[in-house]
Amino acid sequence: LFGMFRSLVGSKALTKEALQPVLDTMSDHLIGKNVAADIASKMCESVATKLEGKVLGTFSTIAYAVKQSLNESLVQILTPKRRVDILRDVLEAQRSARPYVVTFCGVNGVGKSTNLAKICFWLMENGFRVMIAACDTFRAGAVEQLRTHVARLNALHPPSKNNGISQVHLYEKGYGKDAAGIAMQAIYAARDQRYDVVLVDTAGRMQDNEPLMRALAKLISVNSPDLVLFVGEALVGNEAVDQLVKFNQALADHSNSQEPRIIDGIVLTKFDTIDDKVGAAISMTYITGQPIVFVGIGQSYPDLRSLNPKAVVQALLK
Amino acid sequence: MVLADLGRKINNALRSLSNATIINEEVLQSMLSEICRALLEADVNIRLVKKLRENVRSAIDFDEMASGLNKRKMIQSSVFRELVKLVDPGVKAWQPTKGKPNVIMFVGLQGSGKTTTCTKLAYYYQRKNWKTCLICADTFRAGAFDQLKQNATKARIPFYGSYTEADPVVIAAEGVDKFKDENFEIIIVDTSGRHKQEDSLFEEMLQVYNAVNPDNVIFVMDASIGQACEAQAKAFKEKVDVASVIVTKLDGHAKGGGALSAVAATQSPIIFIGTGEHIDDFEMFKTQPFVKKLLNMGDIEGLIDK
Ligand SMILES: Nc1nc2c(ncn2[C@@H]2O[C@H](COP(=O)(O)OP(=O)(O)OP(=O)(O)O)[C@@H](O)[C@H]2O)c(=O)[nH]1
Ligand SMILES: Nc1nc2c(ncn2[C@@H]2O[C@H](COP(=O)(O)OP(=O)(O)OP(=O)(O)O)[C@@H](O)[C@H]2O)c(=O)[nH]1
Ligand SMILES: [Mg+2]
Ligand SMILES: [Mg+2]
Repeated sequence: LFGMFRSLVGSKALTKEALQPVLDTMSDHLIGKNVAADIASKMCESVATKLEGKVLGTFSTIAYAVKQSLNESLVQILTPKRRVDILRDVLEAQRSARPYVVTFCGVNGVGKSTNLAKICFWLMENGFRVMIAACDTFRAGAVEQLRTHVARLNALHPPSKNNGISQVHLYEKGYGKDAAGIAMQAIYAARDQRYDVVLVDTAGRMQDNEPLMRALAKLISVNSPDLVLFVGEALVGNEAVDQLVKFNQALADHSNSQEPRIIDGIVLTKFDTIDDKVGAAISMTYITGQPIVFVGIGQSYPDLRSLNPKAVVQALLK
Repeated sequence: MVLADLGRKINNALRSLSNATIINEEVLQSMLSEICRALLEADVNIRLVKKLRENVRSAIDFDEMASGLNKRKMIQSSVFRELVKLVDPGVKAWQPTKGKPNVIMFVGLQGSGKTTTCTKLAYYYQRKNWKTCLICADTFRAGAFDQLKQNATKARIPFYGSYTEADPVVIAAEGVDKFKDENFEIIIVDTSGRHKQEDSLFEEMLQVYNAVNPDNVIFVMDASIGQACEAQAKAFKEKVDVASVIVTKLDGHAKGGGALSAVAATQSPIIFIGTGEHIDDFEMFKTQPFVKKLLNMGDIEGLIDK
């Protein structure tokens, strides 16, 4: 009986053997919450390294120690090392009389165009004029989708209330054209017409599709946007890792410049569809070390948030 | 597909059985761990993976089994039986009937590939000389009607939709009536993307369902989906009578294991898979031949039911 008691209260140092069953359970728990399997094991390994040899305080259990330690690591992963302050940067670009350019990229159907429209709404609410560049010249209806958004957004911020000046404009050249060229023309037009921001929509593409990844890298290296946002959906499982690794890789490999641009930040969409299975947030930030700049929580314009790391970790460990 | 890709890993794991001099609990557990790990990395639902593990474990009784050869065979066939259960719901796929209207309704999460797949399916039947058409009952997504219209026009498939009518139920009912009158055989209804957390969207889906009374409801899943699939698939099945599954975007790196939980949750077979953005990037999926092909791989041949 005393033997059992001691293993809980433990004046003895924690061993790998004692930790392992708890870590295995924890790893399964994280996978169940949609953290990529590989990342779940890596996180648990690092917890093991941290705890091994430590002496547990009185009345503390191994499970509690593991949970505490994991909590810390998770919050750390989700807490941005670098703050992306778009509003400040737009003002700075304004001072040098040039538009601030954001490019959206990601695989098919994750919510690039919709969240671009939400971010446009947020910028307009902050008093900025926005040009949207329709650089998805492939998918059926992609241009009309943006045109509809621009009409709705103009109705929300009508020119009649802004000295007759329209607050958002769609720059489009229809289908089948070179996306990089359209982005460039849109940026020139925005500079001439004093738009504050250019939001560049791109076609969805699979991370393994080399010609399409090359084209994206070209669009980005030719236009050197201020911000490259990767759009990923919270529904994605283990693929989150492969998507981000390969988008970054392609941007680096196919760029002509000395210092290639890679992903600066993440838009995590469809967060309203996953209940507490919030693991994709961990997978994406663990892989890139980049911040989740926006979280999409619905299909209408105000459904945009910033990430609350503590709340996400709470949902993960629940 | 997930199981095809898993073939090698599973083979390796099973080979560890052949290499082991004695087959005991430890050997079995380590082989099961390897298989389960591969399944989890392919996004197969964790509950299904745990169940698979338990089922194999409880099918094996070391005390009762005599020779090593017998043990190996028992374990291998038990593993395969469980794997097959993942893809095969044991029901026959729905088939349309010639010479009468067959109404097919598409449902699924936002962005899963419904609209694209609608045209692919219509094109598939049109090429087989069925009189085929498309209806756009998505009035929510910006540009939805343009998307369907452009796809349908390119493929020369008659379509119905509206820029002004805001109620998808009205459009769906009108479209189906019109095309039934014109003796169309395959009538495909595209709907908006939706999710279980938003009651009003699910209610709307039910209303469209009641208005068009479909012969087949197809649930469209993105191959990259992870652990959230099961709860969504269950909810769709509970609201409308999902009878078929299509897994899209299998041209990428994704194994589609997450989408498999939709097979279990809806008790419906996968009927087609999407392998690209173009209209003919579409393959028929037949569960039985797929499983057979899987079982015929190298060492696996003839392991089941002998
Ligand atoms: N529930 C929910 N749906 C979203 C969210 N963001 C986008 N969507 C929906 O996801 C679907 C796809 O969105 P799009 O913006 O067209 O996606 P995309 O990445 O531009 O797609 P492609 O350009 O075809 O690659 C639409 O139905 C959107 O309304 C979100 O945060 N929550
Ligand atoms: N690579 C690839 N892309 C696909 C496939 N199927 C669909 N897509 C793409 O996925 C994106 C979303 O497809 P949609 O057909 O618009 O999806 P949806 O389910 O109708 O979207 P909502 O109506 O907004 O819910 C588009 O960019 C399609 O081109 C596929 O099999 N492979
Ligand atoms: Mg788009
Ligand atoms: Mg659609």
